[in-house]
Amino acid sequence: MTQILPAAPEAAAPPAAASVDVPEIEPRVPRSWWRLIVLVFGALLFLFPFYYMIVGSLQRTANTSLSGVIPWPANLTLHNYSQINAALDLGKALLNSAIFTGGVLFGTLVFGVLAGYALAQLHFRGRGLVFAFMLLLLMVPFQLLIIPLYVLIVRDYGLGDSYLGMIAPFAINSTAVFIFRQFFLHLPKELFDAARIDGASELRVLTRVALPLVRPAVLTAMLLTFIGPWNEFLWPLLITKQQSMQPLTVALANYISTVSGVATNPYGAVMAGAFVLAVPVVVLLIVFQRHFVSVNIGSAVKG
Amino acid sequence: MKSRIAVAAAAPLILGLLAACGGGGAVSANSAADAHGPISIWYSNNAQEVAWGEQMVASWNKLHPSEKVTGQQIPAAASSEEVIGAAITAGSEPCLIYNTAPAAVPTFEQQGGLVSLSSFPGGASYIEARSGPGASVYKSPDGQYYQMPWKSNPVMIFYNKKIFAKAGISTTNPPLSTYTQFLATSKKLVSSGAAKYAIYPDPSSDFFQAWYDFYPMYAAETGGTELVKNGKSTFNSTAGDAVAAFWQQMYAEGLAGKGSYTNDPFAAGTAAMAIVGPWAIATYQGKVNWGVVPVPTTAGSHGDQVPTFSDAKNIAMYASCKNRGTAWDFLKFSTSTTEDGKLLSMTGQMPMRQGIQQLYASYFTANPSYKEFAAEAAHTIEVPNVPNSIEDWQVFRDAWSKSVIFGQQSPDSALAGAATQINKLVASGATP
Amino acid sequence: MTSIASRRPELPPQEGELQPGARRAQRLARAALGRHPIGMLFSAPYAFFIAVLFAYPLGLAVWISFHSYFFAAPGVSVPRPYVGLANYEAVLDDPAVRQAFLNIAIFLVINVPLTVMLSMLLATALNAVIPFRAFFRTSFFVPYVTASVATVGVWLFMFSSGGIASNALGPLAPHPSWLINQQWAMPTIAIYVTWKGLGIFILLYLAALQTVPKELYEAAEVDGASWWHRFRSVTVPGVRQVTTLVTLLAVITGANLFTEPYLLTGGGGPNGKSTSPVLQIYETGIEQNHPDFASALGVILVVGVLVIVGIQQLVQRRQA
Repeated sequence: MTQILPAAPEAAAPPAAASVDVPEIEPRVPRSWWRLIVLVFGALLFLFPFYYMIVGSLQRTANTSLSGVIPWPANLTLHNYSQINAALDLGKALLNSAIFTGGVLFGTLVFGVLAGYALAQLHFRGRGLVFAFMLLLLMVPFQLLIIPLYVLIVRDYGLGDSYLGMIAPFAINSTAVFIFRQFFLHLPKELFDAARIDGASELRVLTRVALPLVRPAVLTAMLLTFIGPWNEFLWPLLITKQQSMQPLTVALANYISTVSGVATNPYGAVMAGAFVLAVPVVVLLIVFQRHFVSVNIGSAVKG
Repeated sequence: MKSRIAVAAAAPLILGLLAACGGGGAVSANSAADAHGPISIWYSNNAQEVAWGEQMVASWNKLHPSEKVTGQQIPAAASSEEVIGAAITAGSEPCLIYNTAPAAVPTFEQQGGLVSLSSFPGGASYIEARSGPGASVYKSPDGQYYQMPWKSNPVMIFYNKKIFAKAGISTTNPPLSTYTQFLATSKKLVSSGAAKYAIYPDPSSDFFQAWYDFYPMYAAETGGTELVKNGKSTFNSTAGDAVAAFWQQMYAEGLAGKGSYTNDPFAAGTAAMAIVGPWAIATYQGKVNWGVVPVPTTAGSHGDQVPTFSDAKNIAMYASCKNRGTAWDFLKFSTSTTEDGKLLSMTGQMPMRQGIQQLYASYFTANPSYKEFAAEAAHTIEVPNVPNSIEDWQVFRDAWSKSVIFGQQSPDSALAGAATQINKLVASGATP
Repeated sequence: MTSIASRRPELPPQEGELQPGARRAQRLARAALGRHPIGMLFSAPYAFFIAVLFAYPLGLAVWISFHSYFFAAPGVSVPRPYVGLANYEAVLDDPAVRQAFLNIAIFLVINVPLTVMLSMLLATALNAVIPFRAFFRTSFFVPYVTASVATVGVWLFMFSSGGIASNALGPLAPHPSWLINQQWAMPTIAIYVTWKGLGIFILLYLAALQTVPKELYEAAEVDGASWWHRFRSVTVPGVRQVTTLVTLLAVITGANLFTEPYLLTGGGGPNGKSTSPVLQIYETGIEQNHPDFASALGVILVVGVLVIVGIQQLVQRRQA
C-alpha cells in the first residue's frame, strides 16, 4: 500500500532538523540566505501584531506611540486580565467554543468523509445533484440564509439556546467535503477494485484502504473546518440568549462593546480579551503543526 | 455539469414555494391576558440597570413565589433591535423587555410582536397617570399604547472643567448658549492645545447616531418639533439647515473628530465636551470633573427650558408572552413610585414620571448635578412613531454623513433629498 | 453485449452467482440506482443536511426576493404580495449597493494578486532545508487560526488615529487615519484579510511545490537559467492548479466579505466606502427587517460569483 503513495510518517525527529517530509532537494548553501531573509521578514510581519497584542494587554495606560512597542516596566500591569476575568466566565465561554467547534469537526469528519468518498469513488443515482449543490453552497454567503435558518432552527425545531442549534448550520463543512472528494479522486481505482474483489464491503474499503492514504489531507481539511465555528460570531449571537451558552467570540465581542467605555485602559482590556481568545489555538497549532506537512496534498490539490 | 447546476438551482425554488406556507402558532390573546405564572424579562447591559433589575426581580419573587420572574441581560449585539426582531420572528422573545427603543416599536408592531397595553383594564390610564400628558407621543397611530414610557436620558452638553480652565474659559458659566459662542469656545479649546477635539459625537453611520448630534439641537432650535409630523418630514427647513450648517463647520474646522472609536473620548480627555445623557455619568466618575449645560441654539438657550431629545427607553410586552396577567402586574410593580425612586438613585436616569423633582427631593438635594436633567426631562421630544422608522433614520443618517461629516454634498440638498425619501417611506408604510 | 460478457474467461463462477433473470433485475437496479447504491447511503446525511439546512432556506430566500416580505411573529398573518422584479430594481438603483460592489472590486484587485504572489513567494522560500523551518511554518499560520474578533482588536489598536501605523509613517501617514479615510478604508481591510488568510494558501502552495520534480530545476540550472528564470518557468507553471484554486477561494471569500467590514469599520465605514454587499444584506435584511430587498441583493451576488467562477473555469480550460 505504502509504495503507491508515500504516506507522511510521524516526524519523530525534532522539527528543527531536516524531517523526512522534505523532498530530496539538496540545500544550496548560498541560496538559503535569501530564503532566510524573506522568511524572517515575513515572520516578523505575521507575528508582530500578536506581540503587540501582548504588550498592549499589559499596559496600564494605552501607549499608541512608537515607544509603546516596547514593554516599559513602569507601564505594566495585569489589571486588564483581572477585569476580563471579573466580567466574563472565561472557562465556560471557552468550553462553549470548544463544544461548538468539536461538534462541527465531528460532523465533518464522519459525514463529510463519507460524502466525499461517495462523490469521488462511488457511482450512484443523484451523485451529480449532490455535487452541484455542494458547489452552490460554497458560493452562497451565510448571511443570506441566516434569518430563514434562524426561524427554522429556533421556531420550527425549538433548538434555540442549545448546542445542537449552534452546530446545525455548520455541521458538515462543504469546503472539507470538496477537499475530501479531491483527495479520494486521485487514489487509483485499481486499489478499490482489488479490495472489492477481495470481498470487502464499501465501508471497509473506505476505512481500511482509502482513509489511511489520505490521513494528512484529512488533517488539513479539519484545520480548515476548525476556523469556521471557532471564528463564528453572528450565528451564536442570534441563537444563544443566555450568557452561559455563548462561545468566546460572542462573549468577547460583548465585552468589547460594553466594557470599553468604563475600563481604565479600554484598548488594553480589548487586547487582553483578544489574547485569551488567541492563546488556546496557537498552543494547539504548535503542538500539532508537524502533522500538517505532507507530499500528498500536492497531488490532490492538482485536481 | 451545467444542467446539473440548473437543476440544483431550480430545486430550491420548488422547495421554497413549499416552504412559503410557514407554520407556528400564536399565543391566543384572550386566554393569555388573564393567565398568571412564571415569566421572563430582559433588561439592558448597563451595569447600573442590571443591578437595579436584579434587586427588583428579587423583591418580586419573594412576594410572588408562584409567579417567578427570570431576568437577564439583553443579548449583546450592535443594536438591540436586531436581537429583538429576530427573537420575535422565532417566537423566542421574553414577556417584557426593559430596553425597547421607541424607534423600533413601529417595526415590532408591524411584525405583530407587541401586546397592546391599552387592552389591559386601566392600562392607558395607568400609563397616563404616571407620565402625564407627555405620554401621548408614545401612542401608536391606532391610538393604543404598545409601549410604556419608562425612563429618559435628556441629552445635554457635558464639559470638562479642567480642560476649560486650562484653555482659560469660565467653568461656572461657559459661553455655550448660541452657535456663535459655541463655535468660538470650541476653536479656543482646540487652538490652545487644551484638548484635541472640542466635542466628539460618534460619527458612525448607524441609524441611531443622529440622536446624539442632530436631533437634540434640532429639538432646541425648533422649540420641540419632531423629525416627521403628520406624515411629512419637517427638517428640510431653516432650522434643520442651521443645525446642519453648524455641525458642518465643526467638522470642517477639525473641532469634532470624524473617526469611530472604542473608548469614550470625553472620559479619556481627548474631547473637551460631550453631547450625551445622564447615563454616561457613571462612566465619567473619577475621570472627569464635569459640568452640564443645555444644547446651544442660534439665538441662545432659555435656561433649562431648552427642549432636547429624550433618548427614552421604554418597556413593551411581547406577543409570545403566555402569562400576560403576571406580566402586566409585574410591569406595574416595576414602575411604582418606590421602584422608580430606586431606578433614579441606582442609575441616575430619569424615570418618566410626573413630578420627580418633588417626589425624590432628597435624592436631588444629595446630587444637585442631576437637577438639570430632571428639569430638562419635562421638555423632551421623542422619535416620531411612524412606519419604517428605522429606515427613515438610516436615510437621514446617510445624507448627514455624506454632507455634514464628509463634506461631499451641500447639507441643504442632502437634507432635501432625505426629506423626499423619508416622506415616501412613511407614506408607503401607512395603513390605508 | 451479453455474449461478450458471458465469454469472459477470467471471472470464475462465484458462489451464489445469480441466474440470468435475477441478473437482469440486478442490471435494472444498477441502472436506476447506479453501480454503487451504497453511495446513496454514504452521502445521505450530507444530502439531508444540504436539503434541510441549505436548500430550504435558499429556496425561501429566493421566494422572498420576488415578494414584498418582512418577518412577522409566529401565527401572525401579514400580506405578502408577489411583486415580480421590483426588489431587484430597487437593489440595482440603490447607490449604497453600487458602492458596495465597487468596494468589493477594489478589495479583490488588491487582495487576490497580493495573496497569490505572497503565498507563492513564501512557500517557495519555505520549500527547502533551512533552520527553524517549523517555526516559520507555524508563524505564518498563527493569524489564520486566530479568531477574527481577536485579530481585529489589535488591528484597530494599530490603525487608529495616533496608532503605531500612523506613527511609524510619520508625515506620510494618511490623514484622516486609515480606517476612517475614504480612500484607505477598503485597502486597509484588504491588507488585513490578506495577512489573516495567507497561512492556508502558503500551506497549499507548499504542498504543491513538493510535487514539482527536482529534475526540472536541475535541468533549468544546467541550461544556465537564473533563479528568477527557474521560478518563472518551472515553479509557476508547476503550481498552476493551486494558483487557480487559491484565486477561486480568494474571490469567493472576497465577494462574501462580511466580518471584516462589520468589525473593523462597523456600519459601512466612512461615507459607505468600506461597506460590502453582504454587510448590506445584513443591514437591510436583519436590522431593518427588509428581507425582500436583502434576498434580491443576495441572489444578484450569488449569480455574480457564479459568473466570475464560470469565466475562470473557461479561461483555465482554454489554457490547459
